[in-house]
Amino acid sequence: MLLIWCAVLILACLELSTRVGTAPICSYGQAGCHTPSLADIFDRVIQQSSRMHGISSDLHSEFEQYFFPSKNLIGKPKCHTHGIVTPADKENAQRLGREQLTEVILRLLGAWGDPLLQLYRSMSQDQNQDFNHYSSNKALEISDMVHELRDGVAKMAEKMKLSGVLGNTVGYISPEGLVPSSSFSFYKHGELNSMDHHDLLYCFRRDSNKIKNYLQILKCTTLPGLDC
Amino acid sequence: MSLPFLRTHCGTVGARMWRDLGLAVLVLLSAAVESNSTSPPGKPVLLSCRSPEKETFTCWWEPGSDGGLPTTYRLYYERERLEGVHECPDYWSAGSNSCFFNKTHTLIWVDYYLTVVASNALGNATSDIFKMDVMEIMKPNVPENVTLLVVETEDSPYLHIRWEHPRNTDTESGWVTIKYELRIKQEKNNKWKEYMSGTQSHFSLYSIAPGGVYTVQVRCKLDHGSWSEWTNSTNVKVPNYVQNERSFWILVATLSAIPFMAAMCILIVKRENVKQCVLPPVPGPKIRGVDFHLLMSGQSEDSTNALIINQNFPLIVGWKDQMEEYLIVTENDIGPPSDASHCQKRKKSLIIPAGFCSDWEIQCKSTHIQNDCAGGTKNETGNFPKNNKSLSGESLSYMEPSKLQKQQCLGQNFVNTEATDPSPLNYDNAVKPFTNSGYVDIRKHVENTQEVNVKQVDYSRVEDVNGDNVFILNNKNLAFNSSGYMDFQRQEEKLSEDYSRVKEVGSNNVVVLQIQDMSADTKNPHATGAHKMGVCTELINSEYIDTIPAPPLM
Repeated sequence: MLLIWCAVLILACLELSTRVGTAPICSYGQAGCHTPSLADIFDRVIQQSSRMHGISSDLHSEFEQYFFPSKNLIGKPKCHTHGIVTPADKENAQRLGREQLTEVILRLLGAWGDPLLQLYRSMSQDQNQDFNHYSSNKALEISDMVHELRDGVAKMAEKMKLSGVLGNTVGYISPEGLVPSSSFSFYKHGELNSMDHHDLLYCFRRDSNKIKNYLQILKCTTLPGLDC
Repeated sequence: MSLPFLRTHCGTVGARMWRDLGLAVLVLLSAAVESNSTSPPGKPVLLSCRSPEKETFTCWWEPGSDGGLPTTYRLYYERERLEGVHECPDYWSAGSNSCFFNKTHTLIWVDYYLTVVASNALGNATSDIFKMDVMEIMKPNVPENVTLLVVETEDSPYLHIRWEHPRNTDTESGWVTIKYELRIKQEKNNKWKEYMSGTQSHFSLYSIAPGGVYTVQVRCKLDHGSWSEWTNSTNVKVPNYVQNERSFWILVATLSAIPFMAAMCILIVKRENVKQCVLPPVPGPKIRGVDFHLLMSGQSEDSTNALIINQNFPLIVGWKDQMEEYLIVTENDIGPPSDASHCQKRKKSLIIPAGFCSDWEIQCKSTHIQNDCAGGTKNETGNFPKNNKSLSGESLSYMEPSKLQKQQCLGQNFVNTEATDPSPLNYDNAVKPFTNSGYVDIRKHVENTQEVNVKQVDYSRVEDVNGDNVFILNNKNLAFNSSGYMDFQRQEEKLSEDYSRVKEVGSNNVVVLQIQDMSADTKNPHATGAHKMGVCTELINSEYIDTIPAPPLM
């Protein structure tokens, strides 16, 4: 019995010590913190955006498969983020510059926070049982990811500003300021029908791809290195 | 008169009619033939579009029937954020029935709505609308310059594979991210083994077989697009290099194995000797006069009889008389002690099986006096059975003379101890109650030596041992002989004054006493020995039994 208690105590001590021993990522820049490098942040953010795009692609293809088999007959969906001017080819993207590119990324991320949450709620409350639990969980996941990614990119921008890579023209952009309120009329605050679901998923799939691509460009222009 | 004229006229008309009919048919047929060869074109089908580097893209269609007339195909597209309908900018760069969109005409993340119109002199045919986004149609070209290299290191060689990204993809600016995948096959198997390489354009394969031929193919994909085709196979042969080091060690091992084997053979052949050397035999226990194997074989009656009979039971002597007597008991070796020196050595050592009284020892001593070396001395050796390991082992205790008096009980006790175990070999039990207070009758050694034939007759001799630890004492007048039997003579006087003869010991610590009315030579009472030591203990506590003419305890 005594041996068991000793073992438990030792394990607890070890765990505590390991916890204390590892350097936590400090959000407030405390002294003695081990903050990740800009390259690390870039990698994490790009990974996150890639994953987010993957999930949204899956959701979209699921949707199309089960609800709209003959996809070519779908009308032309209009996305609520069409107001945000985004470069659509390589030259334009490169021409844009880091600051503007960062701003575009932040705008896009900010514009999707609320609609995705709405989408999740609508999917999970779906009366018709169109969506299974798995799909609505994916919607929740991407909704969370968008928020995380926005925070991550903001931190990255801060870091870039500190290291002088980024000019100071990138300010904090509030979500409301990003998207003109008129675009919210696209989506009824309340019940979203299947068409709305489809449009949302379609638009988000595209926008998440944009976000990922822009982040990649940003990384390779800021830190040209291994993966570029 | 006009009838024959009319008949000929009719015939002529019929013939004409037939002719006209034939002509009409001919005309119709020719007209029909002519209209099949020229018709509006069939509906073309847009097959697919593809962008190899996310900067340009190409679309292909399949023409329908051309209607026999020269048919032209035009591709029109509409685009998100672009007003109007536009025509394909390049019909030729990508081959026939294709449309190539160059960089200026390509936008990502916008929807294109394509249609192909086939037209000839007779009409048009429009294909279905094909909606696409460049983001969805990415499929790169194959990677280039796949090179294989066998790197020979000290431990083991490995295969290093390098390649380059497809020529037109721009990975440096981060516009596209390429992921690679390769597959490797050994010449013998037909199975490909696939490996992911991520974004690296090199790969190392370890643990390759010398002399094997490896075939490698690589492919890639952009972002979340489709995989490209596999490259052409590239082969490499791993040289069958001589592993000098390894052969050296093999030689060494072989050479050293020979003497090792020889040593093993010798050991095996001489294993008996080795055994003798390494594991010397432990001397087994022996009881003098008793065959160990007989005991082991389990013929308990005979063997225990032999054991018991072999012992010399000490006589019970008057306790009071002998109070001052000292007794030094020494151990005797196996077999009769033959020389005085042997005896002297063991003067101080004392082995007393607790179950045995010193009387017994004395008696042993006395009966074997002719064999003993200690004539006249007070040293006595007990002829102890050596089959008790505890005797020779740890349970040795040097017994002070005073302790002797505290020894365990009388003949009763030894009966008991023997009764505790059918095999008289085990005297362990007997060792324990040693500390119980008891008394021992000690006969004067002098008396013993002189009056060899005169024995105090106070107890019975065990004659027989049954299976259930029953000893049957047989009080007989035993003639003393060389085997160690004792004569019991009764000292009636003493007996009647001080002692009661034990007639019987019951199971619950009960002793049956005999009334003292026996003659010395006549009665042969039997007494049954009790099993438990406890009996003895109780007896001992009382130290002796006063004989009051009373009915025997029962």
